[in-house]
Formats: sequence, C-alpha cells, structure tokens
Amino acid sequence: MEAGTTLLIVLGVFILFAILGYNRLVRLRNMAEKAFASIDAMAKKRYDLIPNLVATVQKYMEHERSTLTEITEMRAKAISGDLSDNEKVDLDNKISRAMGGIMVAVENYPDLKANQNFMQLQGSLNEVEEQLSAARRAYNAAVTDYNNACQMFPSNVFAMVFNFKTKRLFEISERERQNVDVKSLFN
Amino acid sequence: MKSLQEFKEFFNQVMMPDLEALDKRRKTVVKRSLLIILFTLLALLLATVIYLSMDASKQDNNSVFYFILIIAVIIITAIIFGNSWARDKTFYTDFKQQVIEPIVKFVSPDLTYEPKNYVGSDSFQRSRIFLNRVDRYSGDDMVHGKVDKTQIWFSEIKAEYKTTTTDNKGRRRTRWHTIFKGLFFIADFNKHFQTSTVVLPNRLGKGFLADFFKKMNFSRREKLVKLEDPGFNKYFVVYGEDQVEARYVLSTSLMHRITEFREKHPNHLYISFVNSFLYIAIAYTKDLFEPSYFKKLTRFSLVQEYFEDIQLAVSIVEELNLNNRIWTKQ
Repeated sequence: MEAGTTLLIVLGVFILFAILGYNRLVRLRNMAEKAFASIDAMAKKRYDLIPNLVATVQKYMEHERSTLTEITEMRAKAISGDLSDNEKVDLDNKISRAMGGIMVAVENYPDLKANQNFMQLQGSLNEVEEQLSAARRAYNAAVTDYNNACQMFPSNVFAMVFNFKTKRLFEISERERQNVDVKSLFN
Repeated sequence: MKSLQEFKEFFNQVMMPDLEALDKRRKTVVKRSLLIILFTLLALLLATVIYLSMDASKQDNNSVFYFILIIAVIIITAIIFGNSWARDKTFYTDFKQQVIEPIVKFVSPDLTYEPKNYVGSDSFQRSRIFLNRVDRYSGDDMVHGKVDKTQIWFSEIKAEYKTTTTDNKGRRRTRWHTIFKGLFFIADFNKHFQTSTVVLPNRLGKGFLADFFKKMNFSRREKLVKLEDPGFNKYFVVYGEDQVEARYVLSTSLMHRITEFREKHPNHLYISFVNSFLYIAIAYTKDLFEPSYFKKLTRFSLVQEYFEDIQLAVSIVEELNLNNRIWTKQ
C-alpha cells in the first residue's frame, strides 16, 4: 500500500513535468513560427515595392534591363505562393542581392539619384530592409530559445519523446554583417 | 560638434568680461551672507551675556526677556536675509543668462534656452521608463531646438512619489522618495514606430537566474527582448511590446552606439522609444547648471563642467546618428 502510494505520487509528478515541458516546447515553437510569419509579412511589403521601383528606375537604367526583368520574375514567383520555407528564404536572398545590385548601379545615374520619386522609394526600401532584418533577428532569438529547450536537459527528454526538432537559424546576410564593419570604419 | 579647445577660446574671448563682473557680485553675495551670519551670532551672544549678567533672583522675568530678545534677533535676521536674497535673486538669473545661455548658444546657435522651463511630467510619464506614480515633479534649465534635422528637448528634472505611514501612536508621517533626478532628454527619432521599447540598466548581470528574474518583470506590459549584442546586454536589459519592432528600433548599429555612449558616460542611463520619439534619462546626483557660491566663476574648470553637461545632451544626436534620415521619416 505504502509503496503503491509513493509510486503514484512519483508518476503524478512525472506526468506534471511532462505536461509542463511539452507545453513549454509548444509555446516556444509557436513563437518561432510567429516570428517566421513576421519575416514573411515584411518580405511581402518589400515585394509590393518592387513594381514601383522597376517602373521608376527603368526609364533611366538602360544597361540594367536584364536585372530588372529578373527581379520582376522573381517577385512574381515569390507572390505566387506554393513555396516551401526554404525556397522562400533562398528566393528572398536572391531578391536582396539583385536589389542591392540595383542600388549600387544607381550611383551611375545622377538624374535618377536626384529624382524625388526615387528618393522616396529608396527611403521606403531602406525601411523595409531594416524591418526585414529586425524580423530575422527576432526569428533567430525565438529559434535560439526553442533550440535550447530542444537540446538542454531536462526539456530535451520531452523534445525527444514528442518529436520536436531543432530549427535552422537565419544566416545573417553578407550585407547585414558588413553594416557592422562599415559603421566602425566611420567612427 | 564643438571641441574643448574651441570652448576655451570662447571662454577667454567672449565670456570673460561678463564672468569677471558676475564674479565680483558673487563675492559680495558671499561677503554679505557671511556678515549677516556673523551679526546674528554676535547678537545671540550679546543676548546671552545680558541674560547671564541679570539678577538671578528674578529668574522668570529674565527668561521671558531672553525669549523676546531671541525672537527679535531672529526676526531682524530674517528681514535682512530676505532683503539680500531679493538682491541675490538677480545674481541667480543673471548667472543663467550670462553663463548658461551663452554656452548653449555656443554649442549650437539653433538652440533656445529657458532657465525656468522644463520637460513636462506628461512627457516623463509618456516615456514609460519609470512606472511609479509621480506625486511631486519639478525641474529647470530647458534647452530645445533643432540639431540639423533632429528636434530635441532636454532639461533637468526631479520626480518623486510619497508614502504615508501611521505609527502606533497615530502620528502620520509622509516621506518623499526620488524616482529620478537628472537630465531628461527627448528627441524626434529617425524611424517611425508605434509600440514602446524600454532600455533599462542591467542590474541583474547575466546567467540563468538573472534571465529568469528579468523575464519575471510583471509591472510592465512590455515583454523581455533578448538581443544578440553581448556588449550591449552587459549594460542593458530591454523590454518591448513588439519583438520585431523593438529590433527594428534597436538596430545592430544603434546598439553598438548606445554601448559606446554608455562606456563614455558611466551614469545610469535609461532609454525608451515610444511613438517615434526617443527618451533618454541620465541620472545625476549633483544639481545641473547651478551657480556655486564658493567657487570662482572665472575658473575654467567650473565653466567647463557646464559646457560638458550641455554638450553631452546635444551630442546624443550625433552619437546615436539621429540625423541619418534614410528612411521615410524626414
């Protein structure tokens, strides 16, 4: 009888821990997913700006026609949906690179640089770019919390039992990493 | 940004004549005050001597006489003090006008200085840095204006709350507690945002337990935001209503700049970002921009301190790169 009660208590405590541990993992995973959704939202905001950018820029940029067409195609593909998360990320990176290229090329077109419309657009783009980077950092923070829970004892036991898998972190792009260096150069 | 060398030239060439005149007045203020104190002490001494030399048999009458004498001395002293204070008040306002204002204008001619004005308590509370109820609020030395593209306001403020306790004999006792004393700075931030993000000094350090207690801050509606810059995290803990927007505001470069600013100025630093405004509270124990009656006004090191305190506030704009308006907010 005594031993039975003890066993029951131990079992009860274990179940309680399992419930708490499971809920915590679910909460952390949901937070990571929510953070990913906000990256998506920011990326969409950027896609919305692309037609404007192309329209403003193409009158001036004769030599970058192919880049502009490419960027338009990529945008069409991105907003069409039916992409996996990984494909989305890849496409996003490609678009970032292409847009970065355009912004560099703008330097060769003083008329364009002085265009009021373009300057406004550039402001919006910088803003979206910064928001996108913030969303990625938020995602990385959420995923780090989640991954820690998946790998650290004792929650890793429940993660194993309930089959929670670690998520991949966003790699900070070359451009964002450079931002840090550039700033220290100017100081 | 003006260098100390430039200020030294300004001090010697422009401010000196005014300072010398003002310093003469300071000396008379001090001399007069000392004289009044001396007179009071002498009068009290005299009264005591008279009292002691009187006939000891009429003890009661003597005490009344002594009491009246003391009262008379106090009243006369109060009148003289009041009179001289009225005269010294002009020294105080002239000090603000002839010392602080020129320094403000020297730092940036676009700034306006209002000695009696201060950042309002509504702004203080809007900043969400300190959530205590404010029962008493005061301040002075308001500076405002535009530094290039950024509008700024700052002043010295003091915010307090009170507690009233009743002891077992039914006596009520009111105590005042300082919430914040120091420089309060507001700037129009260079990005748009809607939610609030608060950067507080990290008093708990790091580690598992510290993280736990940072998370358990239920007095705030803002939630803990874990940022990735270890240097920044050493000094600060961040709470935000929106995880993404907090990071949008606190970009990697801004975190870096805030860390550098903190390393240069080791005062307690509180920062918040609310509704596209930046609020910074820098705690000071000393009173800012006040004359010191016992120090020579013509001494550079004294005036240098006023300059540096003003410069510190104005330099925030440059140090945090607030004039960098590459986003949609102009």
